[in-house]
Amino acid sequence: MAHIHLEDGAFSLTWVLVWWLLALVCIGIALWILRSKGHKDTGRITIAAFVTATAFALFQVNIPLFGGVHLNLTPLVGILAGPVLGSLVVLVINILSAAIGHGGWGLVGANVLVNLAEVLVAWAVFRGSHTFIPDLFSRAGIATFAGLFCGNLIMIGIILISGVQGVTQSPGQVLAGLSLIVAVNMGVAVIEAIISGLIVRYIGNARPDLLGEQKQ
Amino acid sequence: MIAEHIPDLDLITSCAERQDSVFSRASPWTKLILLILIVLTITLTSNLFILSALYALILLCCIAAGLPMKKIIAWYAMPVIFVLSLVGILVWTEPGVPLFTIPLGVFDLTLTDQGVILVVTLLIKALISVTFSLFFLMTTKYAHFSAMVSRLFPSPLDQVFLLAYRFLFLTLAMAASLLKAVRSRGGGLIRSIQVQGRLFAGIFGLVFIRSFERAERVEKAMVARGYNGSLSANTKIPGPGIAGYFLICAGCSAVLLILWISPHAAGWW
Repeated sequence: MAHIHLEDGAFSLTWVLVWWLLALVCIGIALWILRSKGHKDTGRITIAAFVTATAFALFQVNIPLFGGVHLNLTPLVGILAGPVLGSLVVLVINILSAAIGHGGWGLVGANVLVNLAEVLVAWAVFRGSHTFIPDLFSRAGIATFAGLFCGNLIMIGIILISGVQGVTQSPGQVLAGLSLIVAVNMGVAVIEAIISGLIVRYIGNARPDLLGEQKQ
Repeated sequence: MIAEHIPDLDLITSCAERQDSVFSRASPWTKLILLILIVLTITLTSNLFILSALYALILLCCIAAGLPMKKIIAWYAMPVIFVLSLVGILVWTEPGVPLFTIPLGVFDLTLTDQGVILVVTLLIKALISVTFSLFFLMTTKYAHFSAMVSRLFPSPLDQVFLLAYRFLFLTLAMAASLLKAVRSRGGGLIRSIQVQGRLFAGIFGLVFIRSFERAERVEKAMVARGYNGSLSANTKIPGPGIAGYFLICAGCSAVLLILWISPHAAGWW
């Protein structure tokens, strides 16, 4: 899963504030879009809450593949909830995650930006490839992998720009070290893409309306 | 509970509701401000003495509050793995006194004393943050926590947060019962990637579908009872007492002192 697995104290205060502010701007835009519709859509709020709870609960399930894998399911959140509600979902998931030690409080802003990239790219690829990839499994798998790949790029960018406090390696050395993590992350991304593809196909068979699809 | 190494939200909430220590009676606002000050402190300083003292103090508070320390230490697994997985790669070639070298043919990996200090520093910082976060959650009642969310977050984010926090327990119970059902039929056995992948995708898909269906039912029931997208938590949150204000002032002074002693720590240039 693409996530900045750094805890509090890793980034300097300046970068903590910069990433938090950028994340809040993105969340602010999502809130503005939701509020601009004039009325509160109780159905979408309830579904967003359930998607948040489900994604956070399923993240805790250890899948017995290759010694145990946890999936963060943010691309699936993008596919199911869309980019606007997905933005709110990733913020709440990151706050809940920070509360239990999965990433620091100061890193919530950076993690929200990484997850937002995953949500946006997965949603765009899933919706955009509707006409030329009709198979749900392939479409969701490709969208998930693309989302996680972009999330990883954003993660590397954030760490390279911010630097880790106390680490005196050159950006080239840090990049070499991070490449190893990205390689592992992309390996897990393949597993997540396959499982997300299977989940979306399962949902597509049982409740295609949840995906905005017609029953095949 | 789904995994041993991930904090058990049922246990955390149970502690928060049943606790009657001085910490659970303290104002949630005081604890929240202290959490922010602690995050600021560990962001601003890398002094091992200050960090160790802060960690020891938080551990003492946890013990005094009667929190389950064995569980908390078991929950350290995730942050420790996160720190080691990333910083463990970056500590090599740090300048300092070499402790040992691993020859890799093309280049050598050398671990120095400064590299070890870096890992220890980041580990202690992570543990301080995690321990105080758990302390905050385990000493703050659900009603106060939800009222704080209601006051701090703008609408409809507060609604998503409040409902998600409530639904989380239902979803966790649903996922746990599904996993239990699968395990009781031999689903926990290691089989081919395809079988295992399909099995868990089915479980995840089912949890999502059931969650959506439950969301639709809950929404209809709530709307029938007058829900219009504004669920406000009216619980009165106790404000900080004299001791609370004293702690907040002391914490702010400590952060300002750290910033004054080492302004470069903030990363300003």
